[in-house]
Amino acid sequence: MSTTAKQAIIALPPLSTHEKWTRWRYRHRQALEGWLILTPILLYYSILFIFPVVANLYVSFTSWTGVYDSPKWVGLANYRTYLSHPYPLILFNTTLFALVTLIVQTGIAFLIALLLNEKVFGRGVYRALFYIPTLTSAAIMAQVFFAFISPFDGIFNAILKALGQPIVVWTISTGWMRFFIIIYTIWRGLGGPVILLLAALQGIHREIYEAAMVDGARQWALLRYITLPILRPMLIFVLVTGMIASFQIFESVLLISNGGPSDTTNVMLLQIYNDAFVNVRLGLASAGSIIMAIVLLGFSLTNMRLLSRGQAES
Amino acid sequence: MRKRVTWGRIFVYSTLIVGSIIMAFPLVYSLLGSFTDLKDFYANPWLPIPRKLYLDNYSVMFTPTFSAKVQLWQWIFNTLIRCAWYIAVPGAIAVIAGYAFTRLKFWGRDFAFLYLLSSLMVPGIVFWIPTYVMMARFPGAGGNTWMGQGGHGFVNQWPALLIPGLVNVFYIFMLRQTFYSIPIDFEEAARVDGASTVQVLWTVYLPMLKPVLTVLVIFQFVAIWNDYQWPLIVSSGNPEIWTLALGIQRMLFVGAQVKGLPQGGTVQDYPFAFAMATVATLPLIVLFLRLQRFFVEGVQGFALRG
Repeated sequence: MSTTAKQAIIALPPLSTHEKWTRWRYRHRQALEGWLILTPILLYYSILFIFPVVANLYVSFTSWTGVYDSPKWVGLANYRTYLSHPYPLILFNTTLFALVTLIVQTGIAFLIALLLNEKVFGRGVYRALFYIPTLTSAAIMAQVFFAFISPFDGIFNAILKALGQPIVVWTISTGWMRFFIIIYTIWRGLGGPVILLLAALQGIHREIYEAAMVDGARQWALLRYITLPILRPMLIFVLVTGMIASFQIFESVLLISNGGPSDTTNVMLLQIYNDAFVNVRLGLASAGSIIMAIVLLGFSLTNMRLLSRGQAES
Repeated sequence: MRKRVTWGRIFVYSTLIVGSIIMAFPLVYSLLGSFTDLKDFYANPWLPIPRKLYLDNYSVMFTPTFSAKVQLWQWIFNTLIRCAWYIAVPGAIAVIAGYAFTRLKFWGRDFAFLYLLSSLMVPGIVFWIPTYVMMARFPGAGGNTWMGQGGHGFVNQWPALLIPGLVNVFYIFMLRQTFYSIPIDFEEAARVDGASTVQVLWTVYLPMLKPVLTVLVIFQFVAIWNDYQWPLIVSSGNPEIWTLALGIQRMLFVGAQVKGLPQGGTVQDYPFAFAMATVATLPLIVLFLRLQRFFVEGVQGFALRG
C-alpha cells in the first residue's frame, strides 16, 4: 500500500518552467516590487543628488569656467581666497544676519504665541495675519520693499518730506540696509514659528499650571519652570530649521541692497551666485557652497536627528 | 486683582493688534496703492487712499503694448505647468516610495532609506552649480555633442525647469510616516479579494492618504508658485519660459513704459508695481484663507512628525 502512495506522489507531473517562475515570483513578490519601485528613484537620486555633492567637492579644488575648458586642479587656492577681502566680511554679514534674525524672530514669535495662547478673541485672524507674509514671493516682496526705501522717490522719503525732514539716502548707509534686510527677513519668517510654538503651547495641559498655582508659583515661575521645559523640543526645532533657513537668505539681499554699499550687506548665497553665474568662477563658488555646508553641518545633523527620532517613535 | 487682569488684557490685545498691523501693512499698502494713480499715491505717503477707484494699473495688463513687453499670461501659464508637474511627479513618487518603505519587506530597504535621507544634511546651495553644469552640458541637447560640448544644453530651455528636484526626500519621509499610521488590515482584506499592488495603492490607500496629500499639494503649489532662485539661474535669458515670480520681479517697474507716460524722471510708477505684485500674491492669500486648516496642519505636521 505504501508503495502506491509513494508512486502517486512521484506520479505528480513535474512543474513547468512557467509554473516555477510564477511561484518564484510569488515568493519574492515584495522584493521584486520593492526594487522595481526603488531602482528608478535611487538612480535619479544618485545622479541629481549624490553626484552633484561629490562633483561640487571636487570642483571646489579646481579653477573652472564651466563652459569650454575642463577643471584645473588648484588645491586649496579657492579656500584661501575666502581668507582675503571681501570674503571674511561676507561670512561675517551672513552670520550677523542669521543670528540677529533668528534671535529676534524667535523671541517675537514666542511672545506672540504666548499671547495667542491666552483666551483671545479672534485667535484665528491674528494667526492668519502673522502667517500670510510667509506665503508671499520672497523676490517680489523684496522688490516691493525696495519701493519703500528707494533713495529719491521712495515711500519712506516721501513720509520724511511730508514731515518736513531732509531725505535720507538709505542705500548708501550700511546700518540702514542691514536693518531693512533683517526686518524684511523677520517679516517673512515670523509665521511658521508662531504657528509651531502656539501648537506646542496648546498641547500643555491646564492642570499642570493649576497644580503649580496651588503651590503658590508666580507667573514668572510658571513660564520658567513649566512652559519653557515643555516647549524645549519645539524651540530646538524652530531654532535649528530657522538657522538653516536664515543662513541661506538670498532674494532679500539681491533685491533690496544687492550686497551694497561695498559688500557690507553681502551674504554667502549672493556671493556664490555672483561668483558662479556672473564672474563664471565655478571653482571659487563651489568652495563657497562647501564652506556653507560645513558651517551648517552641525545644524543639519541635529535636524536629521530630530527627524529620525520622530521616526523611532512611530 | 481685577485691575491687574485688565491691564494684562490691554497689553495682550494692543501687542497683537499692533503686531498684526505691522505684518499686514506692506500687503495692505500694495493692495490700496495698486488702485491709485501716481498723484493720489504721493498725496498721502503714509497709506495710499484711492480717492476714486483707479483701475488703469490692472486694465493696462490687457493692452497690446503691455503684452509686447511683459508676457504676464505666458508666465502664469508656465508657472501653472510647473506647479502641476512638480505636484504630480514628486507626489506620486512619494506615495509609491512611502509604500515600498513600509509595506514591502526586502533586503536593502532600510539602507536605501538612509541613503535617501542623507541628502537632507546638505544645504540646497550645494546643488546649484553642479546641476546647472549638468543642464548646460546635457548630452545631445541644445547643440551639444554627445559628450555635452559645444552648445548651451538645456539652459534657457524648458527641460532645465522640469528635470531637477523630482524626488523630494522630505515628502517621501512624510508619506512613509503616514503609511506607518495606517493599519495593514485594510490592505490584507483587499489582498484576500485578489487585489494587485496597483489596485491596493489606488483604491485602498489613496483615499486614506487624502489629508497628507492635500498638505503636500498646497505646500508644493506655494513653493513652485514662488520659486525664484532656480528659474533665475537657468532661465534668465529666455523671457518666454520665465516663471511668474521671476517675470514680475524683472518687470515690476515698467509701468511708465507700458502706459506711454513720459520717461526719464527718477519717479517710478509704484502703483503699477503694486498691481503686478498683487497679481502674484493675491491668489496664494485667497488659497490660504480658503484652506487655512490644511496650512496650519501642514506647518505643524512638518515639525511634529519630525
